[in-house]
Amino acid sequence: MVTKTEEAQLSRLESQVDNGGGGAWDFLCLVRKLKVRRSDKVLKHGLSLLKDPRKRSALGPDEWTLYEQVAIAAIDCHSLEVAKDCIKALQKRFPESKRVGRLEGMLLEAKGSWSEAEKAYSSLLEENPFDQVVHKRKIAMAKAQGNITVAIELLNKYLETFMADHDAWRELAEIYVSLQMYKQAAFCYEELILSQPTNPLYHLTYADVLYTIGGQENLQTAKKYYASTIQLTGGKNRRALFGVCLCTSAISQLSKGRNKEDNGTELQSLAATALEKDYKQRAPDKLQLLTSALKSLRVSS
Amino acid sequence: MAEELVLDTAIRDWVLIPLSVVMVLIGILRYFVSKLMRSSQVPDVKIVKEGQVIVRARNLRAAANFIPAKSFRARRFYYSNEENGLLFVPKGQSQNAQAQMFSDPNMAMDMMKKNLSMIIPQTLTFAWVNFFFSGFVAAKIPFPLTQRFRSMLQNGIDLSTVDVSYVSSRSWYFLNLFGLRGLFSLILGEENATDDTQRMMQMSGFGVDPTKSLGAEKDGLDIVQHDWALPKFEQRAESVLRKLVH
Repeated sequence: MVTKTEEAQLSRLESQVDNGGGGAWDFLCLVRKLKVRRSDKVLKHGLSLLKDPRKRSALGPDEWTLYEQVAIAAIDCHSLEVAKDCIKALQKRFPESKRVGRLEGMLLEAKGSWSEAEKAYSSLLEENPFDQVVHKRKIAMAKAQGNITVAIELLNKYLETFMADHDAWRELAEIYVSLQMYKQAAFCYEELILSQPTNPLYHLTYADVLYTIGGQENLQTAKKYYASTIQLTGGKNRRALFGVCLCTSAISQLSKGRNKEDNGTELQSLAATALEKDYKQRAPDKLQLLTSALKSLRVSS
Repeated sequence: MAEELVLDTAIRDWVLIPLSVVMVLIGILRYFVSKLMRSSQVPDVKIVKEGQVIVRARNLRAAANFIPAKSFRARRFYYSNEENGLLFVPKGQSQNAQAQMFSDPNMAMDMMKKNLSMIIPQTLTFAWVNFFFSGFVAAKIPFPLTQRFRSMLQNGIDLSTVDVSYVSSRSWYFLNLFGLRGLFSLILGEENATDDTQRMMQMSGFGVDPTKSLGAEKDGLDIVQHDWALPKFEQRAESVLRKLVH
């Protein structure tokens, strides 16, 4: 997770570098540390660093880290020639390195020669079956080729061993959602909530999935998770506010007045008011739409 | 107050400086030797998986109240059922690390290599120092120290009347052995410093039985009382919104 101060620092450095104020290396270090995706900027500034022999030698051993970073950014931007040069330089320095082998696999992938990339990754895995990055590349490759079922299979196999890797769980959850396999997705989101119980995004998506599955019980649970999202975000998340309204109206439709004294109407009317207030402040011209939408849910206060 | 001892400059030239230089050189040599002998070991699938299972089970235990009761029960069953639960270790199958070490010659080999690179130079240099330099008063610390430091600074000199701020040659060896880490990290780079004390810790840490931690995790999971936290969240969300609206 990128914190707010880090983000501010990053954007400050980014604008400084863009306007020729120097500090390119600091910017690149920060990008690497935060693992953010700024491939175009990394490619531009990293390459200018690499092309200047004096600056490059000033980096010392970090030069090779920079080569790797620029190579990956170049692959992301599809400037394959640059990537090739970087990887060649790395290969010269570190022959038989697995890390460079990984980069070669990624280059093959970027060229679209799937079978060759597959072969490269497989040979890497033979040497070290616990290389998580290579496993993930293989999964990503299957997904990129459109073999979603293969990707799921590989991911499941991966998670069997590395079951504490929550990024993989998240990927699997998103794939399941895209395939409308909501029960499986719900399981993955539960796993994510377990690993980071105070991350409101997971609560929110879990609630979305439960709401989509439907049914009295799931709707009740979804509403609770929307509520927890509201609590964790301090009521700033509009999606959660809408979610509460939708859930309550869906529940009341399902129960058809069987148990009128539902205790959730309070929360729902509060959410509706909060939404109205928010719209009044930020988008007064769309308030009309909101009130009509809420009215159709019969939750307008 | 005892009279000042006058240290011969020849002691400085032939004991203090050679000793320090040799220690540094040996440290560097050892680094390169251990780098040569280091073999990349591939960890066992089972061990990697067990580590991951433990992390996941710990997450479940810590955050159990954040998922619905049904999901929690399903997971607990998955981890700790008596047939094929992930955390369940059948009796008798829990081989201890000692036995594992004997069954896997690679592991023993690795230990040997590590030990060789550590112990042999140490014994050799210690013998060397003892043989050539024993009994020298090699240096003087420019500030007075209490009696407690005597065993640390005057190892090898059994005189209680010598002022504590004098350092014997053998003690100088020990001070170098443990104190050169900062210098090594300067010469060899940050992570490469061979840290004896740390390595000794690793040695003693060896032999932890992973199956034991699995069992402990299972016991911990079995006694967790599931108390779903979400209904409380609903009320809290209400109060949050109330504050926001008004």
